[in-house]
Amino acid sequence: MKFFDAVANAFRIPDLRKRILFTLGLLAIYRLGGHLPTPGIDANKLEEFFRQNQGTVLGMFDLFSGGMFRRLTIFALGIMPYITSSIILQLMTLVIPTLEKLSKEGELGRRKITQWTRYLTVMLALVQSATIAISLQASGNFVMNPGPWFIFLTMITLTTGTAFIMWLGEQISERGIGNGMSLIIFTGIVVGLPSAIHNIYTNVAVTHEWNALQLIVILAIMVLVVGFIVLVERGERRIPVQYARRVVGRKMMGGMSTHLPLKVNAGGVIPVIFASSLLTFPQTAMQLSWVRDNAYLSGMLKAINHSEPMYVILFILLIVFFCFFYVSLIFNPNEAADNMRKFGGFVPGIRPGKNTADYMNNILTKITVVGGLYLSILCLLPEIMISGIKLQHLPLMGNWIDAHFPRFLLDGLNVSFYFGGTSLLIVVGVAMDTINQIEAQLIMRHYEGFTPRAGRIRGRRSSG
Amino acid sequence: MSIWGKLFSGGTSVLSSKTYEPALIRIRAGQPKNAVETAVAQAAKSIEQVLNLRPYDVQILGALAMADQKIVEMQTGEGKTLTAVMAAFSMVQAFGRVHILTANDYLATRDAAWMGPVYRQLGLTVAALTQKVPPEERRLAYSADVLYATANEVGFDYLRDGLVMQPEERVGGTFQSCLIDEADSILIDESRIPLVIAGGAAPLAGMVHKLALLAPHLQMGRHFTFDEYRRNVLLTAEGAQAIEQAIGCRNLYTHEHQRTLEAAVNSIHAQVLLHRDVDYLVRNSAIELVDEFKGRVALNRRWPAALQTAIEAKEGVPLQKQGRILGQITLQSLISMYPVKCGMTGTAATQAEEFSKVYKLDVITIPTNQPMIRQDHRDVRFRLKREKENAITEEIVKCHALGRPVLVGTASVAESERLSMLVASRGVPHAVLNARQDEAEAQIIASAGKLGAVTISTNMAGRGTDIELWPGVAELGGLYVIGTNRHEARRIDNQLRGRAGRQGDPGESRFFISYEDELMQRYGLGADHDVDHIQRIIEGQNLNARTILWKYEGLTEYQRQQFREWRDSVLEGVSEEPQRRRLTLEKIDEAWSDYLAQVTGLREGIQWVSWAGKDPLNEYLHRVTDFFADMPEWVESEVDRRLAEPEVQEEPLFDRGSTWVYLVEDQPWGTLGSRAFRGLMRLIGLKAS
Repeated sequence: MKFFDAVANAFRIPDLRKRILFTLGLLAIYRLGGHLPTPGIDANKLEEFFRQNQGTVLGMFDLFSGGMFRRLTIFALGIMPYITSSIILQLMTLVIPTLEKLSKEGELGRRKITQWTRYLTVMLALVQSATIAISLQASGNFVMNPGPWFIFLTMITLTTGTAFIMWLGEQISERGIGNGMSLIIFTGIVVGLPSAIHNIYTNVAVTHEWNALQLIVILAIMVLVVGFIVLVERGERRIPVQYARRVVGRKMMGGMSTHLPLKVNAGGVIPVIFASSLLTFPQTAMQLSWVRDNAYLSGMLKAINHSEPMYVILFILLIVFFCFFYVSLIFNPNEAADNMRKFGGFVPGIRPGKNTADYMNNILTKITVVGGLYLSILCLLPEIMISGIKLQHLPLMGNWIDAHFPRFLLDGLNVSFYFGGTSLLIVVGVAMDTINQIEAQLIMRHYEGFTPRAGRIRGRRSSG
Repeated sequence: MSIWGKLFSGGTSVLSSKTYEPALIRIRAGQPKNAVETAVAQAAKSIEQVLNLRPYDVQILGALAMADQKIVEMQTGEGKTLTAVMAAFSMVQAFGRVHILTANDYLATRDAAWMGPVYRQLGLTVAALTQKVPPEERRLAYSADVLYATANEVGFDYLRDGLVMQPEERVGGTFQSCLIDEADSILIDESRIPLVIAGGAAPLAGMVHKLALLAPHLQMGRHFTFDEYRRNVLLTAEGAQAIEQAIGCRNLYTHEHQRTLEAAVNSIHAQVLLHRDVDYLVRNSAIELVDEFKGRVALNRRWPAALQTAIEAKEGVPLQKQGRILGQITLQSLISMYPVKCGMTGTAATQAEEFSKVYKLDVITIPTNQPMIRQDHRDVRFRLKREKENAITEEIVKCHALGRPVLVGTASVAESERLSMLVASRGVPHAVLNARQDEAEAQIIASAGKLGAVTISTNMAGRGTDIELWPGVAELGGLYVIGTNRHEARRIDNQLRGRAGRQGDPGESRFFISYEDELMQRYGLGADHDVDHIQRIIEGQNLNARTILWKYEGLTEYQRQQFREWRDSVLEGVSEEPQRRRLTLEKIDEAWSDYLAQVTGLREGIQWVSWAGKDPLNEYLHRVTDFFADMPEWVESEVDRRLAEPEVQEEPLFDRGSTWVYLVEDQPWGTLGSRAFRGLMRLIGLKAS
């Protein structure tokens, strides 16, 4: 298989092997730090608190820190401050002229911007850690010795942790392989894999909750789902682009045509994150007592609880909406058509300008619907398998459905899946990216370390 | 500097020549320690005996640094020719044959003849290679220990050797070590320009002439717009209609009208973007390109095929055949084939980062023999070009009255001629040196340092010209250099300044600029901009563009080597029957030509891949690798097919030349993230660039 080929080949090249081992080493250090608790906090009580707040915004936060937020380890802030900081700086390069100039000054300017990103990360981390420390102190019994000293200590600990993760990530990007930040998120997610496997093992061998057939079905579904993700993630519609300025060769062999690829799932995991973040608000709101006590409000919020039909519909709508939203941000057909014209290109048979924009818009609309549905299926499937869709809660036909529909559809299989749709998308995406990079490195390695004819000359000199 | 800064800046790559001072002292004391020092000492002695010139300390320092595979920065007039001899002798002993790559044919012949006796006394053979040398003598020249030649000559021989049908037709030698004169010019300014060997195909003469007649009637803004930065002509809907009517087709943007569209765009390009006497000259009914950096006619250089034809049609000269490219190599790739390399130039320091990044070469600045006392004045700024030119004329008249020689550096042939008229109207006798007057060059330069001499030149009088002061001039303050424009690169400005103040002579330099200058216009700059800052930005951008091209070129370079090895094995293979062997060679060449065309096409369009959020380089590497892997099979099947249906094909004739390439812009719109933000800004009504 391609994957194993790439890895095996990579290990044959000393420099690449070193890079991969370096990456694994740093990720191991990251995991190790994930077991060091922040001093002065009662971890058990905190864990308990998080268990009660599953499904709220805090849960989303926890996903990105690889479970370290829940346990408030020294890496609890994770790389979120860094991500926020790069977003802010990117935003500012668009607004502040000095920064914009700098970003255009090539390598040197880019280095300066990276530098500021780091400073801002530290500042953000300080603010966030202070907020966490203060709110922990305020919400009662988590903190052993409250006081300004505790706040200071927490700020120092968490900020240092974040700065260290940032450093790890940059080192991986620079001297290792793949994108350091993505790999750190990736690690946080896949680290639960062993315990998931253990769970399956217990279910099959110890508690006999699953029989062999169920196990096979579940494993097959997992493989199919991953395969499905890979397939769709690679899916793209290729719009051919031709250039007005030169004769293309004779093209005897055919092959390398220029095209504009439009990805089926252009937004990646982002629409899902937006959609599910929005849907966590009802549950977060339910934490407030006045909302809970208001019968009208709580009834409404309950209707869009997990696995309720309304929730499913809302989720699909939101995902599709955010897919379109994201695509509209990154791909403005008018701009694309204009760019194509600027580069002297055109789509064969279609006039530049408005015609081209319309043509692209049309294609884009179609594939974005497909992309949105794909994401919806991916994210809903695990949830439905766990707890089903409560179709019986529908008005009027609820009772009839309850009587006639299969139980597993309504109540789920009650299997605890480790991976949700978001996690799966991130994991598969990062893995595909990393493999792609290893392959590119392999190709480059072939020629970069290649000093033409040096060997031959050296041989001649030593012999003669 | 912060820890982060230290960790990531990578440090500066300009080194001082102090490292080599102990070796210099040992050489002067007659006690060289190692092979390099012994060789340099021996060469210095030979120079003294044969030419009766004693190498200066700085020349020996330069030679030591070059023998250590560095780029040395040495000022004009410091005797780079002698420095090269000492370095070359040491390199021959350590690495085998040395190619000294000179700036032009004239220098190759001159230096080989001048330094010949020294080499011969050292027991080395020496040869010069110019365009006029016939093939048999070329083969001989390549067997010399030291070969003086331009990089172009060596490159073309390499390309031609890749197209021969018999092993004994090859002339070129092996690439062992090289010493590059005017290193920044070759390694940076010209590095992207590929040398090209092209086979002929007749252009669509009728169509091209029709369009050349139509083009002047099209209006900018209404029928077309253009993108100065990318040098692209963009037809508007109305423009496309006008052409469709003139040609009589319904939709230009379909596959069958591809060549018409291409011809039309090129015709307009030739009309509006390329200016006679700035970008090219018309001489002896042929188009001659003017090199932007050197200000001289670039021999055999041409624009990409269809554009060249369009210009020929515009100027009404006979249309030459359009080239299908059979072999192509950039100077950058050519130089990288030498396992050992070093270089020298007057201006390397500003580009040190690039030398170290792309070529892994450090820059060493060698101090001047005499302290440099030239005064470089601040720019004088004007609003209008007219005001600037009047001020320059005044300045020339004033200096001329005092008897002080003036050298004026202009940006183009046209500008030099306009200024010449202004100066003539004030009754000042002067010489004009530009691409049109290149025959008189040596004589004009020789008298440029005379009392009261006024020389108006293009960049031609920049690099490589050595203006000696005549008696009495030094007392008047030496040569006064006036620049009429700042160039995109600081190096080119520094080259011009460097014409004054050689070997401790007095001298002055001053630039006169206006906000109507091309540099200011092209980058849309107003009064509050600092020119140095702009130049740094542009240099940064250019470095970026070249680094990107280098990344893309690397794979092609590697594959070229593999291809060449394959072809050579077929060429030298005796086991195969002659018919099959000849066909295989032909098909290999065809496949390579096809590869070059397709790779160029793919590179130009690779930026679209970044729309999908993919890494363009990554995608490119994958696709080219796959394509390349299929070629042997294709060649074999083609050979079998052709053997089955025997027909005799004429061998293609080929011309030599060089062309320029389009930039590779692989992520012109930024990353996916920044695009998303621009989108967001647009959404909330903020304008983002």
